[in-house]
Amino acid sequence: MALLEVKNLVKSYGDRNVLDGVSFELEEGEAKVVMGPSGCGKSTLLRCLNRLHEPTSGAILFDGEDVTDPGVDVRALRSRIGFVFQNFALYRHMSVLDNVALALRRLKKLPRREAEERALQELERMEMAEKRDAYPAALSGGQSQRVAIARALAMDPRVLFFDEPTSALDPIMVREVVTLINRLYLDNVTILCVTHDLNLARHISDRVVFLDRGKVYAEDRIEHLLARDADPVIDEFFGGED
Amino acid sequence: MRVDFPFFADLANYWPQIVRGLRDTILLSVTITITGLIGGIGVFALALSPRGLVRFATQSYISLFIGTPLIVFLFLLYYGLPNLGVTLSPFVIAVLGFTLNVSAYNARYLTIAYKGLDQAELESARAQGFSLFQVFRLITAPQSLRMSVPALTNQAIQNIKDSSIVFLIQYIEFFAQMQEVASRTFLFFKTYLFTAFVYLLLVSVVVLAARRVERKLAIPGLT
Amino acid sequence: MTFVEILLTLLKGAGYTLLITFSCAATALVVGLGIAMARELGGAWLSALLSAVVYVLRGVPMLVLLFIVFFGLPGIGLDVPPLPAMMLSLGLISGAYLSEVFRGAFAEVSPNEVLAAQSMGFTRFETLRVIKLPQMIRFAVPGIVNELTTVLKFSPFAYTVGLPEITKQAMALVATTMRGIEIYAAIGLLYFGIYRLLLAAVQLIEKRYSIPGFAQE
Repeated sequence: MALLEVKNLVKSYGDRNVLDGVSFELEEGEAKVVMGPSGCGKSTLLRCLNRLHEPTSGAILFDGEDVTDPGVDVRALRSRIGFVFQNFALYRHMSVLDNVALALRRLKKLPRREAEERALQELERMEMAEKRDAYPAALSGGQSQRVAIARALAMDPRVLFFDEPTSALDPIMVREVVTLINRLYLDNVTILCVTHDLNLARHISDRVVFLDRGKVYAEDRIEHLLARDADPVIDEFFGGED
Repeated sequence: MRVDFPFFADLANYWPQIVRGLRDTILLSVTITITGLIGGIGVFALALSPRGLVRFATQSYISLFIGTPLIVFLFLLYYGLPNLGVTLSPFVIAVLGFTLNVSAYNARYLTIAYKGLDQAELESARAQGFSLFQVFRLITAPQSLRMSVPALTNQAIQNIKDSSIVFLIQYIEFFAQMQEVASRTFLFFKTYLFTAFVYLLLVSVVVLAARRVERKLAIPGLT
Repeated sequence: MTFVEILLTLLKGAGYTLLITFSCAATALVVGLGIAMARELGGAWLSALLSAVVYVLRGVPMLVLLFIVFFGLPGIGLDVPPLPAMMLSLGLISGAYLSEVFRGAFAEVSPNEVLAAQSMGFTRFETLRVIKLPQMIRFAVPGIVNELTTVLKFSPFAYTVGLPEITKQAMALVATTMRGIEIYAAIGLLYFGIYRLLLAAVQLIEKRYSIPGFAQE
């Protein structure tokens, strides 16, 4: 049984289907990247999986349980998913340490000392422990993203979701973040990453789910997808790469 | 202006009632600042409700109180409530009227600050699994409050000055006492000048305190 | 009294309310602009003095200042009629607040345009008049609107010096009819209506005089 099974997921706004029957699976320890042209629905997909957006129809099985069911404890579901946003979304009025420890203290109800110890562990893993007392405004983009990843990891999630993790970074920072996520991938952290960065995709995943206009157009290993330059849609997106 | 000893000697006769008045002004000002702040946070929370009807009602309340004179509302309570069989002391009426009024203003300041928040932070908090109430308590409210400190402290200063109108609903505070002193001594100009000076002093104390609060609560890296 | 008779009596007061509001608003604009421009042009001493004046005006309750002018000045030989007394209290205080609005708005004027004007040979006064002032006014609009509606909300106090505006009419009506709730609720809505009309009027003026491409917010 896969950790995450998405079956025919549909998300419509009015008469427009942003997601038009998306299906794929994610095994534990696997890392998949979701790519596709603008407007293909990739960001919406992530947000449907933790019900930040409500799916219109379809099934999402997380650890075997259908989370589209209205009776599901959505908050418990969300605390099992680590979500890293494009613009980091660190809480600007709190220090780095407090950012990472917040969920541990308020959701897991850990006492302050324990929560901070656990938080420091993740910060050390992301090489940001020395900035524990700094505030987000004082951090660079790359540092912010690392803290965001530490914050997501602190709750021991079953899977990490990334929403365009490198889009807001300059090339040097992109490299440091790619290296870190790659390390997580090598540690067998389960990853689902939305991105348009091909280099990132290569370093952190096994397979790419290629979305086009709300549907899964293809799913394959990256090299195989890139080799399919006879396919107009795929060629248009990757055009000229490798 | 030469220090006018005869004037102050005159004042000394009325010293007890002046001090009482001062005490009552401070009591009222502090009370309404606190209730107005708590009320403002509550109204602000309502303004963010996911239910459209609640949001609409809240915005209407805010608009209404910001758009009408405070004294009219106080009169409404003071002269109107007895018709409904409700008799309240002038102090209670003042606190009630001021709280409803000041809460609206504070809620408005907080919603203005809210518009400047990074919505992604709020989305991130929801994604972490926090409830709506937790997001409000841990992220929205602290950030909105800290970004509104200048407006909120300004309101506190305004409260001190506005407290001078309650003599019109028979609450005898400092200004009311000074009016009596003036009519007894016939030294209207000097008495009222002295009154203005005392208010200026009270306001200045708050201004100094406000600056320190602003420094302490500013979010690092912002403003 | 019928409802219509009550309404008519209140509307009589509305005329005075508008007169008071406009007089005090005009005073406030003149005073506020005067202070703000003097601080832009003047030297350190003048600015410091005006700063102190503004601080005092912003720290004194309006009613207290009104009483000083109307009840106090006669004691030293100066008799001030009710409306000028309102202008010298509410008008001056609002003028002080407006001068701060203008001060902030002046700071938002693009320094490059000022430099360009100065390098073209304009004097400080000409630069102020031709470049800074027009732009500053547009930045100041929200603050001006806010302050003018505040003037409206303080206009009821004119009744304490005998001006028969809306609130005075209401008090007389309540004394005779004892219908406190209806009457004060009615004038509350009346003031609110005038407030919304003022807002709408200002928005209309703003649209007519807006510069293409000069977007705010």
